Amino acid sequence: MKLAIDETRCKGCNLCTKVCPYKIFKEGNKPNRKGIVVPELDRPERCANCRLQHLYGRTLCGVCQLTCPDQAIHWVEEQPYEPKKVAIEY
Amino acid sequence: MTFEDWFRTDRLPHIYCAGCGNGTIINCTLAAIDQMSWKKEETVFISGIGCSSRAPGYIVTDSLHTTHGRALAFATGVKMANPALNVVIFTGDGDLAAIGGNHFIHACRRNIDLTVVCMNNQIYGMTGGQGSPTTPKGCLSTTTPYGCSEPPFDLCELAIAAGANYVARWTSYHVKELEKAVRAGLETPGFSFIEAMTQCPTNFGRRNKFKQVADQVDYLKTHGVLRAKRERMIEQGEKIPEDLFVIGELMRRNRPAMGVKP
Repeated sequence: MKLAIDETRCKGCNLCTKVCPYKIFKEGNKPNRKGIVVPELDRPERCANCRLQHLYGRTLCGVCQLTCPDQAIHWVEEQPYEPKKVAIEY
Repeated sequence: MTFEDWFRTDRLPHIYCAGCGNGTIINCTLAAIDQMSWKKEETVFISGIGCSSRAPGYIVTDSLHTTHGRALAFATGVKMANPALNVVIFTGDGDLAAIGGNHFIHACRRNIDLTVVCMNNQIYGMTGGQGSPTTPKGCLSTTTPYGCSEPPFDLCELAIAAGANYVARWTSYHVKELEKAVRAGLETPGFSFIEAMTQCPTNFGRRNKFKQVADQVDYLKTHGVLRAKRERMIEQGEKIPEDLFVIGELMRRNRPAMGVKP
């Protein structure tokens, strides 16, 4: 499970950037179609609390979801791991 | 089942301003109610008038959106007519302390089995930022343009003095603690009062040097002092600054209660 932001609900208050212990939410810089600057997710798969939810069968941290005043934060199922081709410059 | 199942998703997003803390407090309250395994048909949300009182409109259960300040009067009627219902009241500081002040102290005195969640944003937000009974000294609002000169109400002290069974105060920054406090309030038979200090960026923060939402949240975080710490400071004879407010569980007792579920 990893975090996702619902762009139809987010109002761009950036409160989530203050509370996440992993600093996954970052202030965005591009307004979307409604003119709201939605925060960006910085590698959401880093959050161990989100990933271990299935194992424990309950919400472990969830402070971002509780704090979000617009109910815009939810979890989505992660895609299974796919090997990626990475170009290395040397 | 999570607290998101309690929302009317077709009504979202709600009309609160960007950064308003009321949504956070609704989340915490619903998360606490979700843990109680109450049925949606047996839960009633009641509110008066104001920003905070729009909350039951976004919740899927039955609700009453009543006249200004009279939420507790309506809730008393609902609870006494059918004590099997679980009644939760959302109210604001102007709704509860100014217009409904009399209903508040008498509901505390009667000790009816209700849970009141007061979203205290220290101002009348919906009508354009007039000073409310909880506006701190020196704060600017449209009716106090030179700074509020009156001392504010301490709602928790009022509830304790009037006889509520459970009283707690948290802020919209302390989400987990607020959730636990609401849970304890729901479990307590008798009147439980949870005051949640919240930020109002549009009408309070804008006039009081909180340019960003996060500034006011930081203020709430740094100026709330835990009850135990405050008592320690008094013991050591330290002077407590005037702008600090007490947070934590302030009262838990067992006065005889009315309308408890049979």
